[in-house]
Amino acid sequence: MRYVRRLALATGVTASLVLTGCGVGGGGGDDDSKAQDAAKGKITGSITFQTWNLKAGFKGYFEDLVAAFEKKHPGTKVKWIDQPAEGYADKLSADAAGDTLPDVINLDRSTAAPLAKAKLLLNLDEADPGAGKDYLAGAWKSNDWKDAGGHYAYPWYLNTGPTLYNTGLFKKAGMDTKKLPTTYDEYFDQAMEMAKKSKKQYAMIGQLPGTDLMAKYGIKVMNDDQTKYVFNSPEGVAFVQKYVDLYKAGAIIPEALSQDYVNEGKNFQAGRLASIGGSSYTVQDLKKNAPSVYKNLAYRPQITNNAPGMYIQSVGVSAHTKNSPTAIAFARFVTNAENQMAFAKKADVFPSGRDGADAKYFHTDDGSDAAKVRVLSAEQLGKAVEYTWPGTSEDQKTNLREQLALAVTGKKPVKKALDDAVAFANKSARAEK
Amino acid sequence: MTTPVKTAGAARRLVRRVPQQRTADRGRAAPAGHAARHGRLTPWLFLAVALISEGVFTVFPFLNTIVLAFTDATRLEGGAFVGLDNFSRMIHDDRFWTALQNSALYMVIVVPCMVFLPLLLAMLVHTKLPGAGFFRTAYYVPVVSSTVAVGIMWSWMLDSQGLVNQTLKALGVITEPVPFLTERWLLMGSAMFVTIWTGLGWYMVIYLAALTNVSKDLYDAAAMDGAGWWRRFVSVTVPGVRNTMVLIAALSSVAAFRVFTEIYVLSGNTAGPGGSAMTIIMLIQRVGTGLDAEVGYASALSLVVFVITIGLMIAVLRMQTRENEK
Repeated sequence: MRYVRRLALATGVTASLVLTGCGVGGGGGDDDSKAQDAAKGKITGSITFQTWNLKAGFKGYFEDLVAAFEKKHPGTKVKWIDQPAEGYADKLSADAAGDTLPDVINLDRSTAAPLAKAKLLLNLDEADPGAGKDYLAGAWKSNDWKDAGGHYAYPWYLNTGPTLYNTGLFKKAGMDTKKLPTTYDEYFDQAMEMAKKSKKQYAMIGQLPGTDLMAKYGIKVMNDDQTKYVFNSPEGVAFVQKYVDLYKAGAIIPEALSQDYVNEGKNFQAGRLASIGGSSYTVQDLKKNAPSVYKNLAYRPQITNNAPGMYIQSVGVSAHTKNSPTAIAFARFVTNAENQMAFAKKADVFPSGRDGADAKYFHTDDGSDAAKVRVLSAEQLGKAVEYTWPGTSEDQKTNLREQLALAVTGKKPVKKALDDAVAFANKSARAEK
Repeated sequence: MTTPVKTAGAARRLVRRVPQQRTADRGRAAPAGHAARHGRLTPWLFLAVALISEGVFTVFPFLNTIVLAFTDATRLEGGAFVGLDNFSRMIHDDRFWTALQNSALYMVIVVPCMVFLPLLLAMLVHTKLPGAGFFRTAYYVPVVSSTVAVGIMWSWMLDSQGLVNQTLKALGVITEPVPFLTERWLLMGSAMFVTIWTGLGWYMVIYLAALTNVSKDLYDAAAMDGAGWWRRFVSVTVPGVRNTMVLIAALSSVAAFRVFTEIYVLSGNTAGPGGSAMTIIMLIQRVGTGLDAEVGYASALSLVVFVITIGLMIAVLRMQTRENEK
C-alpha cells in the first residue's frame, strides 16, 4: 500500500515536472470576412502597439509618435509596449495562442508569414485597398503572401549595408589593408591567408552561410515557380565545399558552427573577427561599444555576385483587433512618409515610403563614418532585394546551419547534408502553403 | 503585567480545559447534521487553493498534452486526430534518437557523481576543524547562483579564446584551442561538469543532515575493532545514509535526464554543432516553441519523456523498498 501511495506521488510529481507547460493548444484564426469594413468607422478608443527591441534606443521617438497620433485623433489612446530582441517569435506565438495579440504589431517576414497564414493579421488588400501605392514597390511586394492571399503588413523601415572590416587584424597578420576584398573569390582567398598568417588566432568568417548568402553568391535557392528548394545542386555542393576547406584551414572561427548573427556581432566587437556584414547602425554601435575596433574600421560595398541583400521591418494589424479603424489609422501613421523619414534619420535605417530613400539626406556625406556608410548603403538600396523564400523560418535556418556544421566538420558528406537541408526546407515550404 | 511563570501556568490550565470545553460546546450548540456537513467541507476548503492551482497548472496541461500528442496541432492552428503518427515519426526522427542517447548518457555519467561526490564532500566538511564553515558556504554558492549565469560564466571560460584555453596555451600544454564548446563530446562533458559543479553543494547539504543521524558510537566501535577510514566509510557511513543516497539518485536521475539549460547556454542557445548535443528536453523546446511550433509532435515527445521518468522513479522506489524490507 505504501508502495502504491509512493508511486502515485511519484507519478504526480513527475507529471508536473515533465508535462506542465508542454501542452499548448492551437489558437486558430477566423476568416477575416469583416476585413473589408475594418478601416471604416470612427478613429477613437484604445489600442496597443508593440515594437521589437526599440525602446532602449528610441524611447523618446515613440513617445512623441504616440502623443502626435493621440493629438491628431482626440479620443484615442495608444499603449506602446516593446519586447526584447530574443524570443520575439515565442512571445508572438504565446499571444496568438491566447488570442491576445497587440492591435498593431512590428513584424519581419519570418514572424509575419505564419500569422498571415493563420489569418491572424488583417488582409490589407481587403481592409485598406490601395495602400500599396504609398510604399516602395519592392518593399510592398515583399509583404505579398500569395499562399495567404494578399498583403498582411505595411512596410516600415529597410536596412542594408556594406561589408565592414577590422583593418587592425589585417595589419596584425601583415596583410595589405588597401586591398580589402570586393569579390567572393578575393574574400575566400584573403580568409585563407589570414588563417595561415594569424595561426588561427583570429579569422575572417564568423558564420556559416544561410540561403541568403547562397543566393548572393549565385546559387539558385528555389526553382522558378518557388515551389521547391534546389540549393543541393552541384553549384551548391561546390560552394559549401569551399566552407569545408576554409574551416579546416582555420578561416572560420569554431563558434560559427553553432552561432547566429548576434554572436557573430559579439565576436567582431571582441576583435576576433576581421569582417562582418553591417549597416550605419552597426557603425554607431561599434563607436559606442567597441572603440578599439571602430578605430580600425573600414567598409566596402556589400560583397555579392548578385543583388545586395536588404531586410524589411513591417507593421501588421491583428485580425482580432476590437478597434480596427484606429489600429489601421495608427499603422498607417507609423509608416507614413513623414514619420518613416524621421525614424530613419534617428535609427540610421531607410524608409520604405515611396521615394523616401532618394531624399538628399541619405546621399549627403557629412564626413562622419556613419554618413559614409549611409551613403554607400543608399546607393546599393536601389538594387537590393530581400532574400527570403516561402517557408523561411527560424527552424529552417537552424536546420541548415546544423547540416552545414556537420558537413564542415566532416561528419556528413556535403551532398548528403545539403540534401537533408533541402528536404527539411521543402517540408517547411509545403507546410506554409 | 504577568510574569512568565504565571503566563506559563495559565497556558497549561487553558490547554487542560480546552478539550472538555470543546466537547461540551459540540453537544450543546450546533445540530448534528450541520456539524457533520461542516466537518466534511472544512478539509476541502483548506485544500481548495492548492487543488485549484494543481488542477489548472498541472492536471489540465497534463491531460491536454496527452490529447495533443495524438493530433497534428500547431501553435497557431488546432489540429486533427492523427492516431499514432507522431510516435511513428519519432521512430524515424534522427534528432529524437540523438537526443535520447545524449539524455541517457548525461544521466549515466552525472548520477553516480551526484550520489558519491557530495557524500565525500559532506564528510570533509562534517568536522569541527577551523574553516569548515567557510568551505560549507563556498560549496553551496553555486547552488544559489542562477544556472544561466553559471552557464554564461563557464561559456566564457571554456570558449576557444577563453580563460581555460589561454591558460593551457600559456603553460605550453596545447598549441591549438581545445574545442570545449564546439565538439559534441567535449561540449557534453563541459555541460556535465557544470551540472555537477552546481549540484554538489545542494546534495552535500542533504548528506550533512543525514550524517548527523549516524551515531558516533558506531564509528567509535568500528575504530576499536580496527576499521580504517575506508572500512568505516563502507560499513558505517554508507549504510547510515543509504536512504538519502536513494533519494538523491532519484532526484538527480530525473534532473539529469531533463537537462536543458547547461547545454543550451554553453552552446550559445543552440544544441551544439550540427545539433549533435541535443537533449530530449531541448528537442521538445525546439519543436514546441515559436510561431512554427508543432505542438502535437512536441506533446508526443513530452509523453515519451514522462513515461521514461516514471520508469526511473519506479525503479528507484523498488530499490528502496527492497532495501527496507531486508
